[in-house]
Amino acid sequence: MSLTSCSGVKELTIFKKKVEREKLNLDKPSALQLEQLRWIIITSENAEEVFRKLEEQGIDPVLFGLTDKDFELLAKNFARIRNQLKITNDLLDKYKEYYEPEKKIENKDE
Amino acid sequence: MLGFRLFFIGILASAVIGAGVYVMKLRSDNAILKANAVKMEEAISDQQELITQQKEDFKEILAANQKMNELVGALKKDLEDLDKRFNKKNRDFGKLAIEKTGAIERIINKGGDAAARCLEIASGAELTEQEINATKKSEINRECPSIANPNYVPY
Repeated sequence: MSLTSCSGVKELTIFKKKVEREKLNLDKPSALQLEQLRWIIITSENAEEVFRKLEEQGIDPVLFGLTDKDFELLAKNFARIRNQLKITNDLLDKYKEYYEPEKKIENKDE
Repeated sequence: MLGFRLFFIGILASAVIGAGVYVMKLRSDNAILKANAVKMEEAISDQQELITQQKEDFKEILAANQKMNELVGALKKDLEDLDKRFNKKNRDFGKLAIEKTGAIERIINKGGDAAARCLEIASGAELTEQEINATKKSEINRECPSIANPNYVPY
């Protein structure tokens, strides 16, 4: 009896602890830095002058053209791309704010 | 007579033992009930915390949705404004470019630079002081005032 009561076997205590999921912490893509473009309007009247000026500046006398309608479409397409980029970027920020709020975690640590 | 006494004592002893066991059971039940009450209170407290957290989450979700809707609306308006600039009062942009080539060239180059800046901002570039403080039409980025000039109120 005395031998068994002195044995070192203790009752197991099993506990669970919730561990927060690790943050993804991917770096946000750096903002774009775009090159400046120069638009040249060429009409039947100024065409010769435009090409002459290009040659004077040492630029190949060749232009890639758009009609006025296509220029309008290009401008609108870029505006749509810009809007989509902005929405996607803001959406990403909102998800990060919601699922990885810095302030709440700081409070918990305190 | 002795038999009767013994019987009586037996009954009495049984009653006392029974009462003791009953009291012990009551105490045990009472302890269990108390422990249950504590657990219930803890559970209620946990539930309350959860409900409060859920309420906060819903508020945050609503606010985020509202902000996103506002942004989508503002960007849509920028796009509509761009359309108006090309076609305002049956304006023929091509004809204008033929008549005032130099002026239109300057305008589209300025607009192109502004549009490029809009793309930079949309991709996450920080706003400059000048962009933040712009409140007049002459100061704003006309391609995307909704994202480039937060303090500009259209008038």
